[in-house]
Amino acid sequence: MSGGIARGRLAEERKAWRKNHPHGFVAKPETCTDGSVNLMVWQCIIPGKPGTDWDGGFFPLTLHFSEDYPSKPPKCKFPQGFFHPNVYPSGTVCLSILNEDSGWRPAITVKQILVGIQDLLDQPNPADPAQTDGYQLFIQEPTEYRRRVRQQAKQYPPLV
Amino acid sequence: MDNPTFNEDDCGSDLDEISHSFICCVCRDLLYKPIVLSCGHISCFWCVHRSMSGLCKSRCPTCRHLYIHFPTICQMLHFLLLKMYPVAYKRRENQILEEEMEQGIFSPQLNAQDTFSTMVFESNSSSDPSSTRKGEAYANTDVLMSDSQVQDDGIGTLVEISDGNSEVNRNISVEEKYCKQVSVADVLCLECKQLLFRPVVLNCGHVYCESCVIIPAVEMLKCQVCQTSHPRGFPKVCLELDHFLEEQFPKEYMLRRDGILLKLVDVENKLPTICSTGTAKQGKPAKQGENLPHWSDPHSRVHRGCGCDSCGIYPIIGDRYRCKDCKEIIGFDLCGDCYNTQSKLPGRFNQQHTPEHKFELIR
Repeated sequence: MSGGIARGRLAEERKAWRKNHPHGFVAKPETCTDGSVNLMVWQCIIPGKPGTDWDGGFFPLTLHFSEDYPSKPPKCKFPQGFFHPNVYPSGTVCLSILNEDSGWRPAITVKQILVGIQDLLDQPNPADPAQTDGYQLFIQEPTEYRRRVRQQAKQYPPLV
Repeated sequence: MDNPTFNEDDCGSDLDEISHSFICCVCRDLLYKPIVLSCGHISCFWCVHRSMSGLCKSRCPTCRHLYIHFPTICQMLHFLLLKMYPVAYKRRENQILEEEMEQGIFSPQLNAQDTFSTMVFESNSSSDPSSTRKGEAYANTDVLMSDSQVQDDGIGTLVEISDGNSEVNRNISVEEKYCKQVSVADVLCLECKQLLFRPVVLNCGHVYCESCVIIPAVEMLKCQVCQTSHPRGFPKVCLELDHFLEEQFPKEYMLRRDGILLKLVDVENKLPTICSTGTAKQGKPAKQGENLPHWSDPHSRVHRGCGCDSCGIYPIIGDRYRCKDCKEIIGFDLCGDCYNTQSKLPGRFNQQHTPEHKFELIR
């Protein structure tokens, strides 16, 4: 059956999210210019964890789902040039649970993805660098790294 | 597509009534024609088939456990869900049937009569001191079975006319009412004929208590009901079903637990050597997990996207026998082992295959 269940599953994900989701997070399917909802692209916001250098930042993230979802994971993108050792210059997040060949499981929910990325923000994985800037500062100049993180958090204030 | 116009305000659904144990982890809807993998995780027939690789080993959608055999639907769970959530299950049936018609490939048809007759046969053939209790249980099944037939008809008409809100409400109340009708007789172990305790589901879809499955010393594990072998080690307990049983039948479940614990203590005292079998039981799956066929071997012939309709291995490696007479799009195939053992199982996609059909060898 090549029909695919991506849209059905995403509709259920959206219902589950509206019923209950972690505080401070946003996850909403994109609304097209004609007012219709595109379930295949979600606009999300991940809050920085309280008590960390990321605190106070509300980081925009876009999830791109394919017709093969949930067999294949969504592509998760921060804005281009996002500062983090495990984020590619394009903004794509590099995380084991988002990799089809290592950690992705169709059972992982949108909520788990977003919470997983929130955890990654403050706990980068130096074994899997995706950008030079963030990685080198993280390894060689921890003080400068922290300054950059706090600076970036200020660039993404809450949208109220 | 399923949701051409997704409505943001439409958040209510019949899923609210359903125990989270029975929500498929892939489609997030009520399980339909459930399959239990050897790691104990449940998914729908099509959700499992779609998530299988077709080219190499497949991974469980929940835990990434490796497997190569497409298991048969667990009929006990299928009829349990049909009884508990008749309206939602009917909705799923219609939805899946529509998709199947579009694709021209069908899942197996499950007939309530079949399971019932095997169950009666089972209870007659056993001669156990606890047979009086069993007799009661089966009399109970009888009544419940005939009830479910009535239900089926009733629901059919309800669904047809349910458009207005009042009808929807009526459906929900019907659902709640039938939900309570589930009894121990719906969830019995095929071996001990008592309430399942720590249930395991074999590749053939039959359900036993973990402690009721006998591991042969040399041969492969075999189902005592259908005699098909269970490939690749001891299956893990289906925890979702186990939790459901504990919640639904707390008293009976406690009795079973105490009974089994007593038995274990007893056995340990008399036969201390049995412990080694106990550990072998746990050690086996891990050991056999390493023992997968040599996928990376360039000489092995992998039949991409083609599975064996008997044992369920997917894809077939090595000799493949294709039925020349089956007309279905998906065809009917056997792996070398199953072709040589003259398996009589029906196809996995409702093919109308008969023993008279001729095969051709595809290398």
